[in-house]
Amino acid sequence: MSLASSIRTIAVWEMNRSMTTMGRNVLPLAAGLLILLVLVTAFAAQSGVHMQDGIYRIGIDDSDVARVVAPDSRFTIYLDNGPALLENRAAYDVIILQGEVYAADTDKGRAALKALERDYAAYVSYVAAGEPDLFAGYPLWIDQEYVKSEIDFLATQSGQQVGAPADAREPPAPSSPVEAATPPSSATPVSEDELREHLREAGSDHPLNRYTGILSAGSATDGLRTPAELSPPLPYDALILVFVFIFPLYFTSQFFMMSVMNERVGRAGEALLSTPIRPSAIIIGKALPYLGIMLLISAAITLFVGAPLTILLPLIPVILFFLANALIIGMAARSFKELSFVSIFFSTLATSYLFFPTVFANTHVISIISPLTLVVLDIQGEGFTAMEYIYSTALFFATSAILFYVGTINFREERLFSEKPLTSRFADFISGGIARDHPHISLFLLAAFTIPFVFMAQMMTLVLFFNIPMPLSLVLLTVSAAFIEEFAKSIGIYAVARERPGFLTPKNLILGAIAIGLGFLAGEKLLLFATLAQITESIFGSVLFLSLQVLWMPLLLHIAGVLITGGFLLFWGRRAYVPGLVAASVVHSLYNLYFLTGGLL
Amino acid sequence: MNARHVGIIAKKEFMGLSSEKTIVFAILLQVFIAMFSSFLMVGLTAMYDPEAIEGYSTVTYGIGYTGAESALIDEFAKRDDLVLHRMDLPAALAALKDRQIAAVVHVPDTPPDAEGPVTVTLYLIQNDLQSSVINVKLKEVFQSYEKELREVRADRMVAFPVGLNFPESGGGENFFEFVYGLLIPLLVLLPAIVSAALIIDLITEEYQRQTLETLISTPITYTEMIWGKIATCGVLVPVQAGAWLLLLGFNGIAVENPAAILLHISAGGLFLILLATLVALHYRERTSAQFVFSTALVVVFLFVMAVPYNPLNLMVRLAVDTAGPTHWLILVLVAGAAALLGWITTAYARRIGEAAPQAR
Repeated sequence: MSLASSIRTIAVWEMNRSMTTMGRNVLPLAAGLLILLVLVTAFAAQSGVHMQDGIYRIGIDDSDVARVVAPDSRFTIYLDNGPALLENRAAYDVIILQGEVYAADTDKGRAALKALERDYAAYVSYVAAGEPDLFAGYPLWIDQEYVKSEIDFLATQSGQQVGAPADAREPPAPSSPVEAATPPSSATPVSEDELREHLREAGSDHPLNRYTGILSAGSATDGLRTPAELSPPLPYDALILVFVFIFPLYFTSQFFMMSVMNERVGRAGEALLSTPIRPSAIIIGKALPYLGIMLLISAAITLFVGAPLTILLPLIPVILFFLANALIIGMAARSFKELSFVSIFFSTLATSYLFFPTVFANTHVISIISPLTLVVLDIQGEGFTAMEYIYSTALFFATSAILFYVGTINFREERLFSEKPLTSRFADFISGGIARDHPHISLFLLAAFTIPFVFMAQMMTLVLFFNIPMPLSLVLLTVSAAFIEEFAKSIGIYAVARERPGFLTPKNLILGAIAIGLGFLAGEKLLLFATLAQITESIFGSVLFLSLQVLWMPLLLHIAGVLITGGFLLFWGRRAYVPGLVAASVVHSLYNLYFLTGGLL
Repeated sequence: MNARHVGIIAKKEFMGLSSEKTIVFAILLQVFIAMFSSFLMVGLTAMYDPEAIEGYSTVTYGIGYTGAESALIDEFAKRDDLVLHRMDLPAALAALKDRQIAAVVHVPDTPPDAEGPVTVTLYLIQNDLQSSVINVKLKEVFQSYEKELREVRADRMVAFPVGLNFPESGGGENFFEFVYGLLIPLLVLLPAIVSAALIIDLITEEYQRQTLETLISTPITYTEMIWGKIATCGVLVPVQAGAWLLLLGFNGIAVENPAAILLHISAGGLFLILLATLVALHYRERTSAQFVFSTALVVVFLFVMAVPYNPLNLMVRLAVDTAGPTHWLILVLVAGAAALLGWITTAYARRIGEAAPQAR
C-alpha cells in the first residue's frame, strides 16, 4: 500500500470509529444540553450576572439619593437619619449625608467610592440625555483618531521608556519627516438624531459590549463619543482571541489526545500496529480528521466574526502545535488522570506563550513572537508580511515537526504498551531517537533539534522578565537562559546513560560532548539567522544568544557544559544528574555574565 | 455500605495520585499562576476595569494642542501629570508617531455657547498600553470641560440632577473589586472543577482498562467503590481551595470567613463531583463523558451566575464580610441538592452493581 492510500484508510477508519461511538450516545444528550444552554443564556441575559451583589454597604439619609444608587446591585442600601448613620459609620463603606459623600479610609471604602462616582456620572448623563436641546446636555463630543506607531525593540535599551516619552517638559521636535495633515472640520459630521440614537443605545450598554465590539466594526456615529463614554481602548485584544480561537482548538485537540490514548488502553492498538501500515501513516491518518475539524472550526469562527480568511494562516502552526503535543501527551500518559493533569498543565503554558507577548510588550517586535499577534494585526486590517509570518510561526512549525517525528519513531509496541512514570517515558522517547550504530551523529542531531524548544522557553523568560527593572531582569534572564540551555544539552547524554550505562566512558563522553556542542551551535545559528535577527541585536538578545559573536568561545562553552553534567553522571551515577546540571548552569551563567559586563563596560 | 471499604478505595486512589505525581502538576500549575500574580493583577484588572491602570503611571505626559484657543487649556493647566505643547497639526502628529508626545488634541473654533456641539478631535497611538493610560487621564480633563460647557449652556437645560459632592478620591489603582469580586470566587471554584474532571477519569479508567472485575471480586461492593472515589475527589476540593486562600494571604490579600467559604465550596464541589459521577457511570468512556460533562458544566455555571444569592456571590460576600445569615440557608440548600444527587448516584450504582457481571 502506498503511503497516501494507507493514510486515507486510517483517516476514514478514525472518522468512522469516533463518529459511531460519539454519535450514537452523545449526540442526543449534547443536543439537549445545547437547547438548555440557549435557554439558560436567555435567562442569564435577562437576569444579569449576580456575582458581586451586595459587596458594598452604603448609608444614605435621603431617599432621592437612594434612587440614584438603587440600580447598582453591588450596593446594599441602608436608609437612616443623619446622626444614626454617623454613629454607625464603621458599619458602612460609604455614607451620604445631605449630598456630601464620605468613604471609609480602606481599600474597600475607596473601591465603593469609585463605584459610586461612576454610578453618579451615569445618572447625570442619563438626566442630560433627556434634554430637549441635546447640545446643552452634551455640549462636548470627542472624535477619536488613531495613529500607528511602531517602536523599535532597541529603544528600551537606549534608555527610552516604552511607557512614556523621554521628557515631556521639552517641546518636542519630531525626527521623522512631517507629513501634511488636514485639520478636521469643526462641523459635526453626524446629525443630531443619530447622536441621540447613539446615546439611547449607550444607555442600555452592557459591559460585555466592550469585548464583543472589538471584533465588529464601529457604529454609525463614526467614533464620536461624549467624554463619559471615553473608555480606554483595550490593549489586550489577544485575550479575547485566545478565548474565541484558541479554546475551541484546544478542546478539539483533546479528542485526538484521547484517540491516541485509547489505542494504548488495553493494548487496543495492537492490531493496528501489526498491519503493514507504517507508524507515520497511522499518526498522520489519525491526526488528519482532527486537523480538518480544527480548520473548519477556525474558518467558521472567522466567517462568523467577519474577519478576513487570511487569519487562518497564522492559526495553522498553532493547530499543528496543539496536535503534536496532544500526540506526545497521549503517548506518554500512564492513566486518564495523568492525561488530564498534564494536558491542563500544557494548555496553561501554551496559552501563556500565545498570550503573554501581546500583553506585556507593546513593542511591536517582541509581541510578534506569538502568532496571535498576526491574527490581531490582520483583523485590524493591517495585514502582515511574509517575513513576519516566518518570524512568528517558525518556532511553532519546527517544534511541531520535531514532536511529530518523535511520536512517529516511538509509535512502537514496546513504547506504547509499557507502564512507566512520565519522566522515564520521555527519556525513553528521546533514547528512541538515538541510533545504536551512530550515537554521536544522533546526539548532534538531537542537540540541533532541541533548539526550537530552547528558544521557545527562552522567549517565554524574555517576555516574563522584560518588564522587571534592568539589572535584575538581566541577571534573571542570564541564569534562566543558562539553565534551559544546559538542560537541553544534557538530555541526550542522560538518555544514553540511562539506556546504555556501559556507553558512558570518558572517551565517549568527550566525543559526545563535542557532538552535542556542535549540534547545538549549528541549530542555534540556523534558526537565529532565519528568524530572530532583530532581537539578537538588543542587549536582551545578547544575553540569550551570546554565542553569536565569536564562534569558538561558545562552542567551548557548550562542550564544557555537557562535560560537566556528563562528568557528574560518569563519576557519581544518575543520582548526580541534578547537581551536575546546576554546576553546569552556574558555569554557563558566570561565563555569560562575564561577557555581558565586559561588553557593557 | 461499609465505611471501612469506602476508606480503602479512597486510600487506593490517593496512593495512585501521589505515586503518579499527577498532583504535582496541579500544584505546579497553582504556583505557576501565583508566580505571575502581579502580571495577572495588571493584565486582568485592565481587562476587567481599564480605568484602573491609570494608577500605574506616575510619569508626566506631553500632549500636543492644536487648533483654536479654548477653556480646555486652563483645564490642562490644572493637571500636573499632563503638559500641553502648542503646535501645528502636522508637526504634532509626526511627534506623536515618534512617541515624543502621548496624544494630540485638536480643538475647533466653535464658541462655547454655540448652537451646535464642540467637537474635539483626539489622536492616540493605536493598540498601545500607554494610550489606555492617557485616555483615562484625558477623560477626566474632558469631563470637567464638559461640566464647564454645561454651565455655559445651563439656561437651555430643563432638568437638573440631584447634586452629590464627592471627596477627593486620590485616584490610583484599586484592585479590590477585581480581586474579591472575581479572582477569589474563580480561584476557589477551580479545584471543584478539577476534582469533577478527576472523578470521570477515575471511573472511566476502571471500565476502559477492565480493572473493574478485580475490584469487584473483593468484598468491596460496586457502590462502595464509587463512593470511595467520590470521597477522594471531595476531600481534594477544600484542601486545594484552602491552599489558594493561603497563597492569596501570602500575597497580602486577606479573606474573611475562610471556614464558611470552604464549607460552601465543599458542598458545591460535591454537587459537581456527583454530577460528573453520574455522567461517567452512564457513558463509561472518557471522551464522551468529559465532553458531555464540560458542556453541562457551562450550563450549570451560567444558570447559577444568573440567580441572585448564588453560592459564588455568597463566597464574594463572605470574603468581604457582608454576608448575612442567609448564606447558611443557601449552604443547606446546596448540600441538600448534593445529598439528592448522592442518593441518585447510590441507587444508580447499586443497580449497576446488582446487574449481571458482564454488564458491569
